[in-house]
Amino acid sequence: MHPSASAIAIDLKDVHLSLGQGVSRVHILKGISLSIGRGEAVGLVGPSGSGKSTLLMAMAGLERANSGDVIIDGQNLNTLNEDGLARFRGKRIGIVFQSFHLIPTMTALENVAVPLELGGARDAFARAKAELEAVGLGERLSHYPGQLSGGEQQRVALARALAPDPAILVADEPTGNLDEGTGSQIVDLLFKLKSERGATLVLVTHDLGLARRCDRMVRIRAGHLDLAPVAA
Amino acid sequence: MQQSMKNLPSDMAPAKGLASLSLMVRLALRDLRGGLRGFGIFIACIAIGVASITAVAVFSRGLTDGISREGRVILGADAAFVAIQREATAEELAFLSSQGKVTPVAYLRLMARTADGTSVLSEGKAVDANWPMHGRVITEPALPISELLAEKDGVFGAVAEALLFTRLNVKVGDTVQVGERSYALRAMLISEPDKLAGGLGFGPRLLVSDAGLRASGVIQPGSLMRWSYRVTLPGTPDESTVDALITQAKQRFPEAGWEVRSRMNASPQFARQIDRFTQFLTLIGLTALMVGGVGVANATQGFVDRKRADLATLKSLGATGGFVFGLSLIEVMSLALIGSLIGLVIGSLLPWIVISSFGHLLPLPLSPSVYPSEYIRGLAYGLLTALAFSVPALGRTHDVPVSALFRDSIETSRSWIRPRYMILTLLATITLVTLAILFSWDRRIAMIYVASAAGAFILLRGVALLVMAAARRMPRPANTEARLALSNLHRPGALTPSVTLSLGLGLTLLVALGAIDSNLRNQLTTSLPAKAPSFFFVDIPNNDADKFDALLREKGGDISLERVPMMRGRIVAINGVSAESYKASDNVAWVLEGDRGITYSETIPKNSRVVQGAWWPSGYRGKPLVSMTKDVADGLRLKIGDTITVNVLGRNLTVELASIRSVEWRSVGINFVMVFSPNTFAGAPHTHLATLSFNKATDAAQEASLARAVTLAYPAISSVRVKDALQAASDLVAQLTMAMRGASAIAILSSILVLAGALAAGRTARMKDAVVLKTLGATRRQLFVSYLMEYAMLGTITACFGLLAGTAAGYGIVSQVMKLPFTMDWSLTIASLILALFVTVVLGLLGTWRILGEKPAQYLREL
Repeated sequence: MHPSASAIAIDLKDVHLSLGQGVSRVHILKGISLSIGRGEAVGLVGPSGSGKSTLLMAMAGLERANSGDVIIDGQNLNTLNEDGLARFRGKRIGIVFQSFHLIPTMTALENVAVPLELGGARDAFARAKAELEAVGLGERLSHYPGQLSGGEQQRVALARALAPDPAILVADEPTGNLDEGTGSQIVDLLFKLKSERGATLVLVTHDLGLARRCDRMVRIRAGHLDLAPVAA
Repeated sequence: MQQSMKNLPSDMAPAKGLASLSLMVRLALRDLRGGLRGFGIFIACIAIGVASITAVAVFSRGLTDGISREGRVILGADAAFVAIQREATAEELAFLSSQGKVTPVAYLRLMARTADGTSVLSEGKAVDANWPMHGRVITEPALPISELLAEKDGVFGAVAEALLFTRLNVKVGDTVQVGERSYALRAMLISEPDKLAGGLGFGPRLLVSDAGLRASGVIQPGSLMRWSYRVTLPGTPDESTVDALITQAKQRFPEAGWEVRSRMNASPQFARQIDRFTQFLTLIGLTALMVGGVGVANATQGFVDRKRADLATLKSLGATGGFVFGLSLIEVMSLALIGSLIGLVIGSLLPWIVISSFGHLLPLPLSPSVYPSEYIRGLAYGLLTALAFSVPALGRTHDVPVSALFRDSIETSRSWIRPRYMILTLLATITLVTLAILFSWDRRIAMIYVASAAGAFILLRGVALLVMAAARRMPRPANTEARLALSNLHRPGALTPSVTLSLGLGLTLLVALGAIDSNLRNQLTTSLPAKAPSFFFVDIPNNDADKFDALLREKGGDISLERVPMMRGRIVAINGVSAESYKASDNVAWVLEGDRGITYSETIPKNSRVVQGAWWPSGYRGKPLVSMTKDVADGLRLKIGDTITVNVLGRNLTVELASIRSVEWRSVGINFVMVFSPNTFAGAPHTHLATLSFNKATDAAQEASLARAVTLAYPAISSVRVKDALQAASDLVAQLTMAMRGASAIAILSSILVLAGALAAGRTARMKDAVVLKTLGATRRQLFVSYLMEYAMLGTITACFGLLAGTAAGYGIVSQVMKLPFTMDWSLTIASLILALFVTVVLGLLGTWRILGEKPAQYLREL
């Protein structure tokens, strides 16, 4: 699938990325080129240490490519400085983590409001409330993360990721810390919201079942895209 | 596809400037709602430092303000004109009386004795019927003072402090002899309003009436006494009226040579002593704050570690590195503000508590008030310390990697904080140092202190690095526990740097202060008496001098006697510049401040050596010459040939500096700053000063019997037992060291707190290690022994450094600043070493004790 330029949400061109210093430097991404269309859902799969998460981080502007271009929503991330990247991320990219990473000293409502507040939205709390209601947590607004179940915490994280209406949603093993039932509810919700907002979704997973729900599955092996077809 | 573009929030513009700051504050407050867990030691460290600095400042301001507010009471008048060794002339008295009400008060040393010859040297004071003009004198029984001192049935009354009653073993109603008269001790003196203005003396006060003193026959020409003529102006005169009186008196009587005090500076020497002592205590307070700073740094590091994930999450949501730093800084500074405010409350209340509990025991006009400027300074010290010590750790939040939030990520973080945070740290440090130096009494000492503190920090950091490097390179011990202990010393996150710094600083301070304390006491109690004479005799009349010598030789047996003429004189000008406007270095300013003992001599005094110029020839008849000691001559920047104008017996004499001497002061022989050529004072009335040393060992009974014989034969001569004088000095030092110890205890408490904090900080990591080790088969005994070895190694190494550094600092202060010989106090050294080891091991094991009993399973589930 090769979407036309205007319809491309994520465009990676020969991306190389190494981490670490000196002898402990590891070459992780070795010339990745990948285009993802707007509204498309892509599942990144591959063995542990293959570079999936690093690729996700490069897309989210959390790691800088050593060479090659990372163009997200029309913006070449190489041209942004660190603060520019942070602001870009705050507006255009929503991230969902395996371990939720909610701020324990903030209520559910406050957690969801944070990216909106950082972006300078005047109606941050009203929008955060609407987001929480959309994920079915309208009754849990003033609860702290410690008072919520794992599934509820991930729903708050999902609301938080979607609150600024990002063009791109990246998720790193979003069901990794949840039981099967809860996990599948979260996945349903994730795909539902993605479709409603028309966002582009990239998710890293070990779960082939989950990967198959995406429009496309991309396998990574030792820092390269594995172009061999994935067994259905 | 277009949908997503439309969905981009058009109303969102990143918060900048004030909006960004207000968001940081909002988020910080949200986070602080979670409680102050992990910040107890942080807050305590700041609070202790600020409390000690504020308490010292409020106490000293209360004292100096009290002195200036109560100036009229302390001085007993609006202005006092003190004539030395002479009474005012009729003309002078007439002038002063024309200005206001004059009350003369005479000060001199008096030997009070009982019928059996037991005597005590007292600080005599003779007053007229109008005394006290201001304030209240308290006696027991409480009767009008004029009635207590009046002559009744041919016997004058006297009032004395309790010490005189004790020393002479007498009670109210008994009589004592002074000179040729008996006095009835009619009451005990509890307090006198003008005590500070008279200066502090060795003996108890003995108060008699003016007429009573004159009747005693002790006033001889040349007697060492001071007459203070106190003038109370009519009504409530303002300061300029008082100054005008002083100026007029000086112009009218340029030769009077009197020492003038106004109610605005009733006791300048005392005020200066307070300033000096305040500075010293403030420096100790700053040390407490600085040691606390290490606690702040440790606690901030802990905060940054705990908050890493949250801060990374914020960054993943669009927060910039600067925003995350600002947010953390606001949180930490809010806690510093809480700590500083707690410290301010404690520090400002403490002087009130001390006064309400012990105020009646202090002969000082203490009235602490509310001092906003002192509070602001205390607050500034607290906040700046927090800033200087927290920014290096907080600076790391800027680069907290968001990648840490993902699985299987390799953590990459910068090893150096960004330059902007280094600059911020530097600015906070410079401001803190500038404040400390600007507000100090002696900036040179403050600068030395700051440099030493910086040196100690760098050295301790170096020691920690050295210990870690050595532990890393050492061959692996065969013993498992020793191997574990050794690797704990150098592994990442080891306790070594924080323990070395907190324990090292605390111990350095403890040892340095201990060394100063023990050397001072040693100097006063053990090293001197071997060389020192047993007695000083003052006010030996010139005519009786030879007979007095004969009496001493007869009663004392095998003695060495040294006797020199003595007068009192005041430097009024140097090279024509008045003493008031002459700039002398701080260490010799005292020479220009009042009257000094002076003498004349044909030959170079014992224990002296001429280092510049030449001594006058025998039988010299030329222009009057003087010889000065080197330290004073240097402090006054004098060179041979300079002129000095001295007022002696109401006459100004201008003399030329002929020689400069170096003097072995510690010999406690007779030596004067200024020695004149004999022709300078030819024919002037004067008395003699003598010292007596026994050539053979004597006991107290022999000394007492000699003193009794002298007092009986020459009632007007004051005899001072050197041991008593040294005891009095030693008591004074003991009181000062008590205050020093009190203040240092605070600094040391701070360092123990910091140490406890440092040891506690490593607990979580240790818990995980212990669980893994237990899973792998380590027994509780093995873990216990390895921890014990680790803490003992850390404690020993740091203690050795602390002992070395503290001894070096103590040596520097004792030998370079105090100019005293330094002796090592081994018992103190060993006690400090044991204390340091004990504290480290006990605090360390207290923290890890719980770990030993933990069941691995529970933790493994959480790991």
